[in-house]
Amino acid sequence: MTSKFSILSIGLVISSIMLFMADLALGSVYIPLPSIVDILLGNEAEKESWNIILLSSRLPRAIAAILAGSALAVSGLQMQTLFRNPLAGPYILGISSGAGLGVAVFIMGFSVLGISLSSSVWFANYGIVISAILGAVLVLLLLMAAIAKLKDIMTVLILGIMIGSIATAFISILEYFSQEDSLKSFVLWTMGDLSSVAPDSLKMLFFIVMIGLVAAFTISKQLNAYLLGEDYAQSLGTNVNVTRYLVILVTALLAGSITAFCGPIGFVGIITPHIARMFFKSANHFYLVPLCVLLGINIMLLADIIAQLPGSDKTFPINAVTSLIGIPFIFWIIFRNKKIAALN
Amino acid sequence: MKNILSISSLSIGYDKNKVLSNINVVVDQPKLITLIGRNGQGKSTLLKTLTGLIPAIGGGVFFEDKINKELSHKEKSKLFSVVLTSPPAINNITVKDFVTYGRYPYTNWLAVKKEEDNWQINQAMELCGITNFVATNIANLSDGERQKVALARAIAQNTPIIFLDEPTSHLDLVNQSELFDLLHQLVEKQAKTIIISSHQLNLALNYADEIWLINNGELEANTPDFFMKSGKIEALFGGLKFKYF
Repeated sequence: MTSKFSILSIGLVISSIMLFMADLALGSVYIPLPSIVDILLGNEAEKESWNIILLSSRLPRAIAAILAGSALAVSGLQMQTLFRNPLAGPYILGISSGAGLGVAVFIMGFSVLGISLSSSVWFANYGIVISAILGAVLVLLLLMAAIAKLKDIMTVLILGIMIGSIATAFISILEYFSQEDSLKSFVLWTMGDLSSVAPDSLKMLFFIVMIGLVAAFTISKQLNAYLLGEDYAQSLGTNVNVTRYLVILVTALLAGSITAFCGPIGFVGIITPHIARMFFKSANHFYLVPLCVLLGINIMLLADIIAQLPGSDKTFPINAVTSLIGIPFIFWIIFRNKKIAALN
Repeated sequence: MKNILSISSLSIGYDKNKVLSNINVVVDQPKLITLIGRNGQGKSTLLKTLTGLIPAIGGGVFFEDKINKELSHKEKSKLFSVVLTSPPAINNITVKDFVTYGRYPYTNWLAVKKEEDNWQINQAMELCGITNFVATNIANLSDGERQKVALARAIAQNTPIIFLDEPTSHLDLVNQSELFDLLHQLVEKQAKTIIISSHQLNLALNYADEIWLINNGELEANTPDFFMKSGKIEALFGGLKFKYF
């Protein structure tokens, strides 16, 4: 088991380095690979412009992809374990819709009030992040209140879907009444954009994601016990309620912050844990968490590479790319397993 | 000497619906106790209340003179292990990894096993006769084999008390008597107290040191001999025949 894990993780580290370099090399301006390595090592490039393109545009985007991939994959894994549902993920629970509503209220609500966001870029950027996190936290507080009242975790899952729908309904109303330019900036946010993360915010995002990933790993034992069912988990000394709260908190941190900075990115959170389980053939979180981090990085870098295929300075919206990769994969696992319940 | 388990004026049930009330029993030495009663009389409810999985309506359960309510999950997991009628929710796991769960109360946050843990796991698997398929996925086992694996997990937990809710239900006759024999040995050799609910009257009367009989909302504890002589068991199950068939 351990040797299989080592081989898998070494393979995934190598492939993620290759994808990372490919992601840096692709773009409207051709930069040779040796020069990229040179610039990354801190040496001066042959052309000043290459330096700027790589360090202020491509590198932050690739790092954002790495953070988003690992965070979304791990939060998906945690949700699937918590809800015992192979299709659970931060998106199904309404966390991203909550974040979306926060952003919608911010972008479109202010324009309805006649306050223009274009007057201050700083205000606009941080406002989006803060309102997205507030929206996600609001949904999570509702879910936590529900968990305290309802014993059945499946009911909470359905409630999450309902909350998501309500948030979407409010977003539609806001969209209907908002002006053209604010509508456009909101729609752009919903498409997801890895390049919109400013270097400053990237540091903050890195910090939040690291806390989330470490926290996710440290509750692996509780989650392994939780897989047996709540009664058995309790009889093995696990405090089930505390575990649930921790999982929700970790997910909020991971999915909420990524959604805030990069926009909603779907399906990475659902499919990555399945790929990890398929490769490793085990439900042990001590192995699945690191594997999900590595796989999530690979998938997200690949998605970012595909997003740049049009060439020139145009890119596909990242959310469309992950959906296009993710949904066929979900079809495939459903048809391959016939019964989706057999996946956990 | 401290009592292993004492139940005092315990009322059990769900919400306000009392199933059993005023239960008073003391267990002062290791023994095999079989819980007998018709379906729906509260056997599972009693086991779940004793293990703290559902709250009691009134009264208290004491383990070594400490009241159940005030024990943490961690403390309880070292006092008793539980096998319920509902199967574990997990499928994607090998037999050995499943039995390893029994050591969770003792391992650190990384679940690293020590020598003692490995020893307990191996002896539990040997006792239950499942060493031939340690690497098999539990989804591929028969019902009977899975029941043995579940018992091995509880034995590996190495607690003074083991609660088993109808562990014989998926076993054939040979396996059923083997199971009772194994439980009897655990009591004799490892000084465990085992409380199991079962519909296997013959085996229960044969192997158990004590019978807890549930009838008409009351629990009566006594030796198998007492119940056989008093005719109470026949009254319980025989009476049913006359009434309904």
